[in-house]
Amino acid sequence: MSGTAPATYSPSPTMQNKKRAPIFTDVDWVRPDGRGFRQCRGAFLRTGAANAASGSAYAEFGNTKVIVSVFGPRESKKAMMYSDIGRLNCNVSYTTFSTPIRGQGSDNKEFSSMLHKALEGAIILDSFPKTTVDVFALVLESGGSDLPVVVSCASLALADAGIMMYDVVASVSVSCLGKNLVIDPITEEESYQDGSMMITCMPSRNEVTQLTVTGEWSTPKIHEAMELCLDACSKLGDIMRSCLKEAASASQE
Amino acid sequence: MEYVSPEGLRLDGRRPMEMRQLRAEIGAVAKADGSAVFEMGNTKVIAAVYGPREVQNRSQQMNDQALVRCEYSMANFSTGDRRRKPKGDRRSTEISLVIRQSMEACILTHLMPRSQIDIFVQVLQADGGTRSACINAATLALADAGIPMRDLVTSCSAGYLNTTPLLDLNYVEDSAGGPDVTVGILSKLDNVTLLQMDAKLPMDTFENVMQLAIEGCKAVANYIREVLQENTKQLEYRRGV
Amino acid sequence: MVGLSVGEKHFIQGGIAQDLRSDGRKRLTYRHIQVETGVIPQADGSARVKMGATDVIGSVKAELGKPNPLQPDKGKVSLYVDCSPTAAPMFEGRGGEELSTELSATLQRCLLGGKNGAGAGIDLSSLSIVEGKVCWDLYIDCLVVSSDGNLLDALGAAIKAALSNTGIPKVQVAAAVSSDGQPEVDVSDEEFLQFDTSGVPVIVTLTKVGRHYIVDATSEEESQMSSAVSVSINREGRICGLTKRGGAGLDPSIVLDMISVAKHVSEQLINKLDSEIAAAEACEEESGHG
Repeated sequence: MSGTAPATYSPSPTMQNKKRAPIFTDVDWVRPDGRGFRQCRGAFLRTGAANAASGSAYAEFGNTKVIVSVFGPRESKKAMMYSDIGRLNCNVSYTTFSTPIRGQGSDNKEFSSMLHKALEGAIILDSFPKTTVDVFALVLESGGSDLPVVVSCASLALADAGIMMYDVVASVSVSCLGKNLVIDPITEEESYQDGSMMITCMPSRNEVTQLTVTGEWSTPKIHEAMELCLDACSKLGDIMRSCLKEAASASQE
Repeated sequence: MEYVSPEGLRLDGRRPMEMRQLRAEIGAVAKADGSAVFEMGNTKVIAAVYGPREVQNRSQQMNDQALVRCEYSMANFSTGDRRRKPKGDRRSTEISLVIRQSMEACILTHLMPRSQIDIFVQVLQADGGTRSACINAATLALADAGIPMRDLVTSCSAGYLNTTPLLDLNYVEDSAGGPDVTVGILSKLDNVTLLQMDAKLPMDTFENVMQLAIEGCKAVANYIREVLQENTKQLEYRRGV
Repeated sequence: MVGLSVGEKHFIQGGIAQDLRSDGRKRLTYRHIQVETGVIPQADGSARVKMGATDVIGSVKAELGKPNPLQPDKGKVSLYVDCSPTAAPMFEGRGGEELSTELSATLQRCLLGGKNGAGAGIDLSSLSIVEGKVCWDLYIDCLVVSSDGNLLDALGAAIKAALSNTGIPKVQVAAAVSSDGQPEVDVSDEEFLQFDTSGVPVIVTLTKVGRHYIVDATSEEESQMSSAVSVSINREGRICGLTKRGGAGLDPSIVLDMISVAKHVSEQLINKLDSEIAAAEACEEESGHG
């Protein structure tokens, strides 16, 4: 190493965290939509949203509106090699009018693989060898926590299509804003968050299928956030199950 | 612009007929069947060979000879300013084809029917003459993989600037817009397998420039042969023969 | 793709269960990490990291750019991973794209923090030059040359090493602002400031095979995994990012246990990596002067 200690590159260390909406740093701020910190948005779930698909579902969490359609199981493409378990193909796309600025629904390439990873652990792929199930998710309106809504809605659509699953997949995200943990954040909160955690889980099996964390977290905080998420997931799971039951009883009549 | 000073020195201090420093290393990619790093001055490429193996795409299978495939790719950081789109542009497709054709000429493909040999070359640093460096690296990698070959293909480029034939152009000389002759030869058989030139040259000058490039190829061939022999000695030593 | 016979699979699984892996390591031991810095002369910083047969190159390039209007006091960092077909024939053409995107996304999450850059391992505000006008755009490009498992940890280490090898040119901002409102910036080509990497986390991937977890899995071991959790942890032991891979579900208590194991492993890894980086820099300096 050179003799003198190298200078650290920081030309303007004083301007950190200046440009942040003051509301989120207050001790007792109110969420923009008036919810409590640990209160999820009102959820509306409905299966059978698209007729052409084998199964479909529509979900609305506050301003986030998502429609997912499931096709298959159908024959895999000829070029694919033989496989004794089924394949899952996921695609998440945004409508051009989903965001305030037209055509800004960006990082959906990553969302597709995240959706795939969240669902593959829950589907009994052995039950449809040599075939492919396609899951197409379309975000009609992006209002924050898009991916969790897409995942939950996709699992409803899969159930509607009669694809065998171990359990429904419920997903919830938590944002860390200053000292507070805020569940089910909206876009505005997401853009000011210090960190976020997203859990997708199978509530009745108590298994996490996908977990991502960004930002800096201490271990106790992770514990707290996980507990919060899992609790919300199990409640969401109940709602999803009752939605499916409702649809089933309606079709019987 | 002056590419050769009155004292007869080039921009990087070489004489007109001087090559850049060569360096080669065999076995750079542990998982490949054969691999090599080849450096010509600041140009640095890695080549990896997989095969002979089963043909991946059945429709391409040939019953009397092996299928040789090649892909050339440049790393994002290989050039001075950062490249955005590294794969599948027309230039890399063309170079892939050039490399494939030159390597096909030396591999004894009829000995390995219904099989496939993949050659992947990755440019880590580009400073002119990547085409030649890739071919040289691919030769080494093929030899390392133990694939039967007629001879070693080696390649070198030469140009003509300031009425002087120059051997082994670097990036600055290459982008001067003068003629650039890339030659690939089978060194022992003394056959030319690759000859490319852009811009125009009078016939007699062309002969001189091409002869210079061939000399360069031979020098590379000697170096490659040395490296291979050294490598074989090492292998022998490790086996305790 | 790794083609393994039933016997080989049992051997790997059995070895892991007995805390003696195929290459003689224990479950929580890393392969030897070899770091080489300054491998790409054109880049502002670069490093090559080898862990066994896994071989990756990271490079850093700094360019002047305009900051994002939403975060005028911060620079920008973009991170791309490219899988070279030399590493595996399946990366040919567009074949490596899927893995490249996944690795890039995971690394971004682990090193660059949330959307607004809070909690990032790389201090984005240190890249600002004139607030709202000029900042450094840092391009981190990684290349996978050879792959034998545990790419994420190796890439994380390569980025850390490349960043500590990075010299950012000193910048003089002219007092007079030109007519179009863009300040005149004079970039020095002699004086460089070393990039501060003390906050850059390391990535520890725990791969779960059977009932046990292992670090630094080879590709054979990775083919036997049920799931893997990658945790990025900084020197203070705080978690900067986490991703789970693999289809099988995990019990939440197992996830928490894996995090605490990863934290324990990361302390050793950081120290190991720091000494390797220091050794590589010393080596480079020596050859540079000699």
